Amino acid sequence: MTTHSESLYATVMDDSQLTGGPVVREGAGPYGGDEEIAEPMVTGGKKYRDVDQDICAHTEQFPMRRWWIAFGFALTLLGVLGVSLISLFYVGEGIVGINSPVNWGTFIVNFVFWIGIGHAGTLISAVLFLFRQKWRTAINRSAEAMTLFAVACAGIFPIIHLGRPWFAYWLFPYPNDRGPLWINFNSALSWDIFAISTYGLVSLTFWYVGLLPDLATVRDRATHPWRKWIYNALSFGWTGSHRAWRHYESAYLILAAFATPLVFSVHTIVSFDFATSIMPGWHATIFPPYFVIGAIFSGFAMVITLMVIMRSVFNLKHYITLNHLEAMAKVILFTGMLVGFAYSTEFFMAWYSGSEYEGFIFKNRAFGPYGWSYFIMFTCNVIVPQIFWFKRFRRSIPVLFVAAILVNVGMWFERYVIVVTSLHRDFLPSSWGMYDMTFFDWSILAGSFGLFFTLFLLFVRFLPVIAMSEVKGVMDPKVARSTATPEEKAA
Amino acid sequence: MSFPKSSKGVLGCFFEPEDALRAARKVRDSKYTHFDFLTPFPIHGMEEAMGQKASWIPWVSAGLAFTGILTAQAMMNYIMVVDWPMNFGGKPHAAWPSFIPITFELMVLFAAIGSAIVAIVAGKRDTVPQPPPLLIKTGATVDRFVVWISATDPKFADEPTVDFIKSLGAKEVRLVDERAGVAATGGDHA
Repeated sequence: MTTHSESLYATVMDDSQLTGGPVVREGAGPYGGDEEIAEPMVTGGKKYRDVDQDICAHTEQFPMRRWWIAFGFALTLLGVLGVSLISLFYVGEGIVGINSPVNWGTFIVNFVFWIGIGHAGTLISAVLFLFRQKWRTAINRSAEAMTLFAVACAGIFPIIHLGRPWFAYWLFPYPNDRGPLWINFNSALSWDIFAISTYGLVSLTFWYVGLLPDLATVRDRATHPWRKWIYNALSFGWTGSHRAWRHYESAYLILAAFATPLVFSVHTIVSFDFATSIMPGWHATIFPPYFVIGAIFSGFAMVITLMVIMRSVFNLKHYITLNHLEAMAKVILFTGMLVGFAYSTEFFMAWYSGSEYEGFIFKNRAFGPYGWSYFIMFTCNVIVPQIFWFKRFRRSIPVLFVAAILVNVGMWFERYVIVVTSLHRDFLPSSWGMYDMTFFDWSILAGSFGLFFTLFLLFVRFLPVIAMSEVKGVMDPKVARSTATPEEKAA
Repeated sequence: MSFPKSSKGVLGCFFEPEDALRAARKVRDSKYTHFDFLTPFPIHGMEEAMGQKASWIPWVSAGLAFTGILTAQAMMNYIMVVDWPMNFGGKPHAAWPSFIPITFELMVLFAAIGSAIVAIVAGKRDTVPQPPPLLIKTGATVDRFVVWISATDPKFADEPTVDFIKSLGAKEVRLVDERAGVAATGGDHA
């Protein structure tokens, strides 16, 4: 146990004092050797009380100007989504670019893109929890919120792709008077319905269970009786009882243990939509791991984008430190290499399988009319992350921000490459064609970002963006403990 | 365990989790049984220090997971084999490999959501009567580690219980009585 005077929690004040490696104290180990101490998760010598103040304060006052500007912008984009969808429903699918032979266009591209974004949130909250990665505490709340909102965006696309979205409820098996006409459980598309709805509901549950203690903190800080009452109801009257914590911790572990295989299953099943077909370029056993790793890759890039903005706007630099960002940059480097490996494997298998259709589709992918999209994908996903081999760039905010955005662009184009290049030239040259995105393809994509950012901005406005009860658990109690009460000081 | 309703009791504050752990061992070995520790985050080793058994939630989860598996299998086999058998490319009606993804998803759905609901309900029922959160600021969601002995405890008596909690080294020991409001007894005894 470190004493107060030598605790790093008391002496590391900001990012400039963090190195990203352990602090070595020569000769301080129990047997006279060197002692290595992990750097603190929270800088600035914060106290438990400061955590609440720093994280809750901005939800308790009238939002700042920058929030209103961002919210106005997001709402405008959401309006674009609304108008585009109304046009789509009124006129029909003809206003977007999908046509024979590219019958899966941006809707499926966007669907896979958004579901992939969501995966990082579950990975951070569940997988890193099982691995006892304590740095997750600073980012898991907002990453999980990101998951929920990304799944909400993703959910739109298969439904509008149906053509008659008002019959979307036909996707679920329920007793009906049409035969009964049931859905076909042999279809990967029906697996998708169950995978996506389960993923959405379980992510929501996991996120909400994590929120309970923090909602009670917000309640105890509240001064207005209505606010107190609302947050008390939302937290189910949480008091912090250790008899409740006992079940809570057990359930949280169970949720993490179920969410971990769930997150892998969801993108696996999304990849089955492609892999169980017989299209060259889609019919590949590498698809499930390739999709899952790509999802984690793109999701972490989105988390970095959001965290870089959030930590500076809400002044959370003491909680989301450079060490956190560097850890995420390492994940991006690792998953980026795996994605690159998957791209190369696809090419190798196309040649090694000896299938001429497979060989053609991959030559066409990289050097055909859509070669430009393959070039964007490969540059952004494989070459750009290589800069994270250098520590200087892993710890540089501008580099992180730009690289993360490029990765997201690259990952959108990865799905574009998979969907469009496989479809536009299939077995018969007589049925070849090109795919042109119309104004509405772009406006629906932009509008989905509007929905995402509207939801995210409402989240940062009303709820604690960092899991306070978890951050407190990784602080040094000797430093973070409450100072004397006014009565104590008087006595 | 279930307890009669009450919001009367005595609470005292600690400022460090280690102090709360030490106190918990003393309370566990005392005559009091209706006690609790209210903390801003779970303290490692507290279950053992309070003399609690491990949570039974994992058994509930296992049962729910099994229910999910059975539900999915029953639903798909009934639909695909019994109610409306259809020929899809000559494949068998009970094509079990293609039932696996949905079976897995329903297992996770039942187990995850069910466990969360059961844990929240159990956290309310399987605990001693708590100080009313809207009336009493315990600080236990901020930076206090609070020991609480409910008035429902058979050995509870106002003054001796207050003295007992003070003897644990707790600060700001208070007798909480909803009917009489909050009575601070003695203030700080460092």
